[in-house]
Parts: sequence; C-alpha cells; structure tokens
Amino acid sequence: MMTISPLARESLARPCRNRLHRTLLLGTAAVLWTVLTGPLARADETCLSPYMAKITGEEEFVYVWTLGVEGVGDGMDKLVTVDVRKNSPTFGRVIDTESVGGRGEAHHGGFTDDRRSFWAASLSDSKLHIFDVASNPANPKLVKTINDFVERSGGVAGPHGAYALPGRMLIPGLSNTHRDGRTGLVEYTNDGQYITTHWMPTTESPQGAAVETIADGYGYDARVLPRKNVLLTSSFTGLDNYMRPLGEVAKDPEALKRTGQTMVLWDFHARMPKKVFHVPGAPLEIRWASGPYNNYAFTSTALTSKLWLVYESADGEWKAETVADIGDPSKLPLPVDISLSADDRTLFVDSFMDGMTRVFDVSDPHKPQQIYEQKIGSQVNMVSQSWDGKRLYYTSSLLANWDKTGADNEQFLKAYTWDGKQLAPRFEIDFLREGLGRPHMMSFGSASLYSS
Amino acid sequence: MRGFAIARLALFVTLCAAPVAAPAHDPHGPKQSAGPGTGYAFPLPEPGSYLLPAIRSAAGGSVLDESGRPHDLMEFLRGRITVLAFLYTRCGDICPTATLQMSRLQDLAIKDRQLAGRMHLVSMSFDPDHDTPSAMAEYAAGWRSTEADAPPWHFLTAPDWAALAPVLAAYDQAVDAKPDPGAAGGPLYHIFRAFLIDPSGRIRNIYSLDFFDPDLVLTDIRTLTIDPGEDDRRMPTER
Repeated sequence: MMTISPLARESLARPCRNRLHRTLLLGTAAVLWTVLTGPLARADETCLSPYMAKITGEEEFVYVWTLGVEGVGDGMDKLVTVDVRKNSPTFGRVIDTESVGGRGEAHHGGFTDDRRSFWAASLSDSKLHIFDVASNPANPKLVKTINDFVERSGGVAGPHGAYALPGRMLIPGLSNTHRDGRTGLVEYTNDGQYITTHWMPTTESPQGAAVETIADGYGYDARVLPRKNVLLTSSFTGLDNYMRPLGEVAKDPEALKRTGQTMVLWDFHARMPKKVFHVPGAPLEIRWASGPYNNYAFTSTALTSKLWLVYESADGEWKAETVADIGDPSKLPLPVDISLSADDRTLFVDSFMDGMTRVFDVSDPHKPQQIYEQKIGSQVNMVSQSWDGKRLYYTSSLLANWDKTGADNEQFLKAYTWDGKQLAPRFEIDFLREGLGRPHMMSFGSASLYSS
Repeated sequence: MRGFAIARLALFVTLCAAPVAAPAHDPHGPKQSAGPGTGYAFPLPEPGSYLLPAIRSAAGGSVLDESGRPHDLMEFLRGRITVLAFLYTRCGDICPTATLQMSRLQDLAIKDRQLAGRMHLVSMSFDPDHDTPSAMAEYAAGWRSTEADAPPWHFLTAPDWAALAPVLAAYDQAVDAKPDPGAAGGPLYHIFRAFLIDPSGRIRNIYSLDFFDPDLVLTDIRTLTIDPGEDDRRMPTER
C-alpha cells in the first residue's frame, strides 16, 4: 500500500541534487520546527485545530461567545472580551463587547488558521459572524455576517461551530430545513465564500462507509488528526429538539429517539466517510490526543453519561468503546464539554445538571480513573484549558431553552488554577449582573500573535 | 563555520533518528503504529476517486522573474496545473522544509513525463527587500532539478511591498515581522500555505505543511487531469 511517509526520514533516505545544502537547511528546519511546535513552546488552549497558529506565551484575552437574553443589557448575542493579563489593572474584567445586533442562539466558534478572524456560529438563525481579532486583539470587530448559510449549503441548518483548515473553515451543522438531525459539513474560504457541502452518511446513503449499526446522518463536532488523515464527527440532534425546553424533550420518548447515536470516521483528504460507529446517547465534543503515537480521541455521551474512546487498534482498525461512567448515569448528569490536557494525561469532564467538573487520569486511555471532582455552579457547560494545564475557564450556558431557571440560572465565567490535584479560584464574572447574557464558547487570544 | 555545520547536521540526524516527541509520561511506552517512526502515515486515495471542488479564482499581481523581468503572476498560473507556494529565503524553519517538498515533487513528476508536461511549480517570495531576483536565482540553484524532463519551477519575487501586498491579500497569506529581526528561524512570522491551481486558474486545494507531501500532491494533480472540473462543484442537494 502506498502511504504518506514522514518528511525527515524520507529526506535522509533519498539522494538530493544538492545534498549538503539541503541537509544543512533541513537541519536548521528540523531543530526550529521542533522548538516552534513542541509542547514546551506552546502555552495555548488545548483542543484547538492543529492547523492554527498557536500562542507561545500565556493567553492574554478570553473571548466568550455569548447568547443575548431579552432584558439583559442590549439583549443581543455578542463577543465578550475578558482581560486575563496577570499584571493588567483590568485583570479578570470585561474590557470589550461586540454585539451582532440580533439574537440567534450563539453557540460555538473558532479561529481561522492564521488566527486573524474568529467565526461565531448561531444555531437558531443559522448565521455565521466573522470578527477581526487581529487588528486589535483587545477589541474584536464584527466585519461580516453570512446570512445565507442554509441556502448556499443546500439545506444544512444550525451551524454548530467553526474549525480551521488550511485557508478554509469547516462548519459542522446540526440540522436542516426539516428541523431534524440530518445534516452536513460545510466548507468556506477564510473570507466567507462558500465552497462545498459534505452530507453526513445515512443508512440509506452510506457513501461507501462501513456502518456498524445505523447511520443516522446527524452531526455535532468535527475534528482532524492530520498525521492519520482522519476526520472524526459526532452527533447531537436537530432544531426541533434543541430549540425546545429540555424538560419537554426529556419527557418525550419520540423526541429522544431523534438524538444522535453515531460517530463517523472520514478519510479527511478525500472527505469520504469510512466508518460509522454506534455510539448511543448523543456523543458531543471530540478531543484528539496530542502525543505523536496517541492515535485516539475521547468523547462523552450526553444522555448515557459515558466516556468513549475512539482509537486505532494494533491491527490498524479504528474502533469505539466505552471506557468509563461519568458520575452516576442513572441520575442523568448530562455530560457536556470535555478538555484533554496537552500531555494526554488529564481529562476534565463537565456535566450540566449537577454543575460538576470531574477530572480523570487518562494515562491509560482504556481505563480512565476519576481523581477529582468539584462543583463549579448550579449549572456548567464549557471548559477551556491552557496548554500548560495550569489555568482553566468555565462557562455556564448550554442552550437558551435548556439552561436552568430561577435562582439556578447562574450565568458566569469562572477562572481557576489547577496544580495537578485541585482547582483554586482566580476570578469570576457574573454575566447577568454585567448585562451580558448567557456565556458559552471560550477561545484564547493574544496580542503577541500579531507583531505588526 | 565547518564545525557549526557539522553540529547542525549531527543535531538533525539525532532528531530524525529518534521519535521527535515521544510522550515521556506514557508508562506503557509509545503506542507506535505499524507505520513509519513518527507514526505519520496513511494510505493515499486513488487519483480521481474524490473531488477537489474549486475554492476560488487565483489572483495575479506584479512579479519579477529570476532575471528581473516583470510579469503578471497570472501568466504563471494558466495553461498548466500549478503548485504555488509562498516563502522567503531567510526563513530557517518552515520554508526550507516546504521547498524540499517542492523539490521532491519535481523529482517525482519526472517519472511521469506526460504529467510533468502538464504541470509546473512556482515559489513566490514575500520578502522583496531581501529576496531580489538574483537572490531568488541563487536560491533556485540549490533546489531546482536540472533534469530535462522535470516540470518547470519558477522562482518569483515582487518589485516592492506595494506590489506584494495585494498578492498576499488575495491568497490570504499573512506575514508579520518578528519583534527581534535576529530571531531564530528568520525575521518573519508566517503560516505556510501552498496552492494547487488548475489550468483555468482556479484554486483546487490549499495545503498546510502537514499535507504538503509530494506523493499526495501528485495524486491531487492526477485527479485534476482525470476530472478537470468543468462541473466540479459538488452541487449540494438536500437529502
């Protein structure tokens, strides 16, 4: 079988026209490439697209994609910038907000590969908002809104997030114009021009993929492991479910049937689905390991409270298996975001209903062991971790109609330090008291990325 | 000077002989796959078995060839399949690695004379202050094949920053000066991008260094020869 081979080994093994010249150049390149990309030099958020420029110092800003709440501030979705520069007089405070002038169920987002733009997706109005974060990282500006995502994509609705590819953005959808969970992956240029759509495989149309049990065609997260040329996607549910109150959905057996139960492994380069795993219970966030031989990813299932491992086995076959319970599944803690440390040893797992974060030692990814737990608030959703594993940030909102009500509707950003054993508070911001809304996705920024 | 070169060579060999970043924490040892030493290996798709949808139109702009003659960049991007990569010769990290891959691509294409006659390579500098036409010619001499059957490889630069800026903008190629011009790796920050451009001047793929492998790029080039893409856009139809 013909394969892509490692650059350095290949270059040594074959003759060159100007061998000395090339070898010296490559010697320099190999050293510096390692320095530039090695774990010691990075201090960025873990779980980023591998195609993105990385912050090589400590993060300076946390951008929070925030869902507007009627009667709270201007009521609009907005990108909130929080100053996390340690010596800044405004450390731990909101220093900027950039409203998008509407409310469309702000959810996830991501930077372009050059990290000059932040794309923020909205689940109910299917808009994509593009912010310039390079001109002034402390003061992002909305520069473009894509209003025709559904039409251009051929019917994909509910853009869930934005994932950097070289010169492009990959937008996994959650739904379609029929408002159920069948959906696709949509590609755009970095400046917001539509390129193409890849529909998720279904049992009726598997597109050549091997199907373990069922191919539901649902989507949620999408992340790439470049060195294995694999794209992994997960599955949630459609507009009809995620725009209904959680209590109603939970009591509706028919609605619960319309939740994701698959993960799809794709040939990334060819954008072709290869295998559809049966992962019941709505597998959500995907986190690839970082180690060069760690060919695996974790995900958690929201409805069954399981931690799953998708891995390449010794025979080269990709498999999916449950490896741990998250809390007591019978109490439906509703696991949501997860964050894997850069050394692949520690996995933080949030669960929305009990407001807990649980920390697992995943040194053996097949046998995670819980080593710590901490209640973050009455509800908790997203967790973002710095590359050095010392700083963690949590936000509270899941979906407008799924968040708790009354006194339990806490809406916060909370920052902690982690010493390997326990979390210690750094600061917190009450997003309702500050007139901001429901904080969701977080991403790190730094002025050091843009030197001129 | 000779000692410095030997030291660099020794360090390079050391880096390449051992896994670069094996996880020191792993009590069970590195989980090495059956592939090569870095674990970086995957099967190549069959040429023509997949689509390369048009991403956008390639852009032109004022450039100088190695002799200092002025051209529009589009002159180099039509009529053949083009692999266009941006670089600067003072780069000490990404660009030499990428240029090596370009040279390997040129070597690989020699084995398929018909294909070699339908493609060419273009390296374009984003450092016009230093990368004069003569500097590019000197750089090219270290990399370009002299084989008669090799596909052409053009080394271009811009006459000045004013001419370069719209080209970089059109290709979304960000370049920033480092605070310390003497910084390791060279004075400029940049992301590596290479572009596969069909004979009609449409960008059909964009590569990061991860996927800038000669075998893979040549597979994409063969795919373009099988499916020239007159109706290349995978017209989305709702399920």
